[in-house]
Amino acid sequence: MALTTEDVRGIADYARIALEGEELEQMTAYLNDAVAMLEPILAYTADDVEPTYHPIGDLSNVMRADAPDPAHGLSLEAALGNAGASRDRSFRVPSILGDGGAA
Amino acid sequence: MACFDELTAAQIAAGVGAGTFSAEDVARAALDAITARDKSVAAFLQVTPEAALEAARATDAARARGEKLGPLAGVPVAVKDTMNPVGTSTTCASRMLENYESPYTATCVQRLIDAGATPVGKTNMDEFAFGSSTETSAFARTNNPWDTDRVPGGSSGGSAAAVAAGEVPLSLGSDTGGSIRQPAALCGVFGMKPTYGVVSRYGVVAFGSSLDQVGPFGRTVEDVALGMNALVAGGSDPLDSTSQPCDTDFLGCLDEGVEGARVGVIPQLLNAEGLSPEVAAAVRAAADKLEAAGAEIVEVELPHMDAAIAAYYVIGPAEAFSNLARFDGVRYGYQEPGCATLAEQSSLSRAHGFGIEAKRRQMLGAYLLSSGVYDEYYFAAQKARTLITGDYRRAFERADVLLMPAAPRAAWRFGEISDPTQMYLSDVFTVPINIAGNGGISVPLGLGSDSGLPVAAQLVAPSFGDAALIRFAAALERAYGAAPVAPACAGKGGELK
Repeated sequence: MALTTEDVRGIADYARIALEGEELEQMTAYLNDAVAMLEPILAYTADDVEPTYHPIGDLSNVMRADAPDPAHGLSLEAALGNAGASRDRSFRVPSILGDGGAA
Repeated sequence: MACFDELTAAQIAAGVGAGTFSAEDVARAALDAITARDKSVAAFLQVTPEAALEAARATDAARARGEKLGPLAGVPVAVKDTMNPVGTSTTCASRMLENYESPYTATCVQRLIDAGATPVGKTNMDEFAFGSSTETSAFARTNNPWDTDRVPGGSSGGSAAAVAAGEVPLSLGSDTGGSIRQPAALCGVFGMKPTYGVVSRYGVVAFGSSLDQVGPFGRTVEDVALGMNALVAGGSDPLDSTSQPCDTDFLGCLDEGVEGARVGVIPQLLNAEGLSPEVAAAVRAAADKLEAAGAEIVEVELPHMDAAIAAYYVIGPAEAFSNLARFDGVRYGYQEPGCATLAEQSSLSRAHGFGIEAKRRQMLGAYLLSSGVYDEYYFAAQKARTLITGDYRRAFERADVLLMPAAPRAAWRFGEISDPTQMYLSDVFTVPINIAGNGGISVPLGLGSDSGLPVAAQLVAPSFGDAALIRFAAALERAYGAAPVAPACAGKGGELK
């Protein structure tokens, strides 16, 4: 079933990408074309085939000691250096809940 | 003395080591060539003369102290703008990262520097590597050095063009679905994507974390091998949990020859819809050359290739959506001013920081990972991945290497492919290798009989059998010669004083 502009509005909300002007219609047309191109994959449902999520099959989570690593850690200054806004050793953001002012 | 573009990376390193010329002389020649040639090619987003001269002088000082120099001593190198060298701007050719300054250095870049290379700059690319023509860059149009009205391929188009134009002898690209091999084919140079995990991804901005791999471009196989040796020196990288040890001496494979070896060709690929006759003829002729060099040609099948493009355009966008979620306008990247809420700031920062193709891929990924859709497409794609990987495993029971096209056609004109889903098909011969994780190399085969533009073959090796790529590419290089500098660029600037 083809995606509607309402569907695509919902996807954009989930993806946190505001679509403006004609973008909603253009993105809807694109997504319908792209999903149609993916149709051959729907045949690959055999129960006896295990999915492969990664080319290196036996990967497991890699943990390191919970200790400072100054050689590879960033200084506070470097960590904040690319932020759009910072204050008091922290990234500064607008209200998370909805009614606050701008950063 | 000669123009520096007549020298290979190996010759430059040897000359610097022998004192025939200094690393600083070479760096100045490279910077001069870039100044003269990049007006028409526009391979670079950023040239770093200070870093280049500083590194070159350090190499010269080390030689003066009698120290042993690295295998890339004084070799000018360029890296794709996905890669972080500390202190440079790493933009991924996106407005999102226009003002981002790298606070650390990627392992792949560090290893070139450790080998004595001279970093001269950062190359243009499709935005966040989403593309096959470098046209989605937010900042520049890179022109194919063989015909500046045509695309260089992508996404590592700048790295391929810089080598084809003779601006550097060696560069790095990254390849998620063909982004090294396809631009190498369109620009007429060698471009190698090693097996997934051979080269560290630490410090390379991620696109598809189970697909991405870094590799070198060069005009000779020896230079590609030199680059590979530098990239794997030091073993697996503790900073990348997927990094694998690789003790291959790639230079040691150059002269092995191919007598008695088996080269697999896949009839279904040579008869594929959309493959241009001149590329098909060139790949068949390459098989004949390998046979003449003593190899046996065997026909093999890859029965699930038809699923590869669809599997790739499920897995790639899904992983890209996940990776690019970090660009929310808070810690780095474009931040929309004056927003009342965090949600508004994220949505508008992403809307105005990303270009259209980056939005498309993320929207597709978001859809494919949404509830209900995920089960239908994502699991199916990963099952197809199992079958595609099995195809290669079986093929390599009958062949030591596979020979196939790298790109379906020679370089096309700017704007010629405007439909994004049509553009995706230009990766049809390269994406299956990323799905399986194997290594591949694009080998230039001269100029196409119809287009007069570079055409190429692709060699594919068993997983972690990347030495075979160098071995068989060297055999083809003996038949076809090294890749030439594009005629319009050769000799322009770059005099080695």
